[in-house]
Amino acid sequence: MIKKILIVDDSPIARKILKKCIPQDRGYEFHEAGNGLEGLEKFKTETPDVTFMDLTMPVMDGIQALEEIKKCDDDAVVIVATADVQVKTIFRVMNLGALMVLKKPVTKETVEDALLKARVSLEDIRR
Amino acid sequence: MSFSQIFDMINMGLVVIDKEMNVRYWNRWMEIHSGISSDEILNRSIFEHFRNLDTPRFNRNCKSVFKLGNFCFFSQKLHKYLFPLKTDSSFKADFDYMQQSCTMGPLRNGSGAITDIFIAVQDVTEVVMYEQQLLEMNTKDGLTGAYNRRFLETQLCKEMERAKRYKRPISVLMLDIDHFKKVNDTYGHQCGDLVLKTISSVVQSCIRKTDFFARYGGEEFCCILPETKPESAVILAERIRKGISKKVVKCKKEPIKVTVSLGVAGATEIIDSPDRLLKKADDALYKAKETGRNRVVVFNDKKVMA
Amino acid sequence: METASNNQITEEEKDILQEVMNISFGKASADLTDVINAYVVLSVPDVTLLKAEKLPDYIRDDIKDYNSISIIEQNFWGKFKGICFLIFPSRSGRKLVAMLGEGDDSFEQSDTMAVLEKETLIEVGNILIGACVGKVAELLSEVVTYSPPRVIFEDSPKKNISKDIFEPESMAIIMKTIFSFEGQDINGFLFLVTSQESFGWLKVALHRFMERYE
Repeated sequence: MIKKILIVDDSPIARKILKKCIPQDRGYEFHEAGNGLEGLEKFKTETPDVTFMDLTMPVMDGIQALEEIKKCDDDAVVIVATADVQVKTIFRVMNLGALMVLKKPVTKETVEDALLKARVSLEDIRR
Repeated sequence: MSFSQIFDMINMGLVVIDKEMNVRYWNRWMEIHSGISSDEILNRSIFEHFRNLDTPRFNRNCKSVFKLGNFCFFSQKLHKYLFPLKTDSSFKADFDYMQQSCTMGPLRNGSGAITDIFIAVQDVTEVVMYEQQLLEMNTKDGLTGAYNRRFLETQLCKEMERAKRYKRPISVLMLDIDHFKKVNDTYGHQCGDLVLKTISSVVQSCIRKTDFFARYGGEEFCCILPETKPESAVILAERIRKGISKKVVKCKKEPIKVTVSLGVAGATEIIDSPDRLLKKADDALYKAKETGRNRVVVFNDKKVMA
Repeated sequence: METASNNQITEEEKDILQEVMNISFGKASADLTDVINAYVVLSVPDVTLLKAEKLPDYIRDDIKDYNSISIIEQNFWGKFKGICFLIFPSRSGRKLVAMLGEGDDSFEQSDTMAVLEKETLIEVGNILIGACVGKVAELLSEVVTYSPPRVIFEDSPKKNISKDIFEPESMAIIMKTIFSFEGQDINGFLFLVTSQESFGWLKVALHRFMERYE
């Protein structure tokens, strides 16, 4: 079950778009962060079920934040949402333990698909 | 009425290629200038008839149009042409093939996806010819066909910079006709001109393609010799001197014989600017004049020696 | 959503444009890598709104570390209309030629080499500009056409770009990115400038982009 979702992106518009792509009727609890460091702190305090992570951000970028989150909790479900769709980047974040890469611009369909994957992964972990 | 008939009447080539590089359209202009009919080339790979196009650059540009939807421009300056097409007979002497300026861009289907690319081919042979003539007028001396002084000076700057950068030798050679005033006074200016032309052609026949030969002043000429040490430049200067001294110019049925004096200098750590190098070659030339003419003098670092 | 008059861009619109640029340039860099076989890195684009007359100073300030530069400019047309400047530090042409492996024996002569360098600058410039402008237009459901790119300065000491590109009193949006080719010592600035003329369309297009998520 997904209850809490953390969205880490420096662009308020990007956070807004992502939120709008997530069905509002499921009672998710949302938390937002504007950079990697803030995201890491929110991850620790809020312990979200799923984290959406942008890559290029000020203060601490998404790659580093992903690494730190994985250090805290190896089972953390992190979905990287990025416009950087170079094959190299995808490999890098997958190796760091991201669940998947969600290409920007996101749509309701791609986000729904990502949430489904996240749910399956969470069930596997908890079993 | 179909507006597409314009494509067959327009004075430019139009080609459409799909993602597999197969020709989808070949207008009448292309048929006429290539000698390849639309039937022959349609649905075949463009490379089948034009193997010259199968280059990284061409493929890269096609890819960028398909992927990015941008336009690509193949200028005549670098590419000369994309399609080796016959040129109109009046330009045959100057160009192997029609000089072209080509544009490439995307064609989209109803939903905006790029399915094909077009290439528009413009014949710019005539423009290029005028451009070359203009360039020649600007850089060359009308009488002798040698470069003019301004061109020589800009070229020397470039060549010296290159020599410095790659630590290569470079020399210049100054040439002056002995007693040229006497030739003009005795035989008239027409004969003087003929002498200038003759000397010019002797020098041209002695130098390499990479050397630059220019008319520097009235009866003074100059040569830039890249990749050449002064020792080798002297050998060349001697060859020129001998060649000219053997030459008999016939003007108004009068045989005219002239000699030339030459000064040679090479760039060094001290002689490191175009001005200095020219000055040293000129000093050597002056010395050649002073010591009896019809000879070569080389400027050697500290002292001038014959 | 708030909508200001046509010659003003609101903060929110600027934020949307920033995100549109992020997404577009991400796609552009992936596609560029595919086209020119080199990993192209585009920095997070910076969106600035300023008076058109301030443009030359703004650009000059950014390139203050370059001693001599080559500038390529290219106009693009459509509802999304403007001009792109690509600024390379000097001697980049030679590096690009080497990177693309174009320098074969037939180009040994110095004259031809200079032409090749210049043309390679133009070609790479055309592709870079086409990718960036094209992806922005695509995301905003527009199609643009281009004029051939021009080299306005080549390896020359810094000069300012002309002040007269746009009406001095009008506003311009300037979108900047720093590009580099990974593993190669080649980088430079790309400035995408669009004037007040396009603001009307841009505002509508940005809101339409957001409406997809309503």
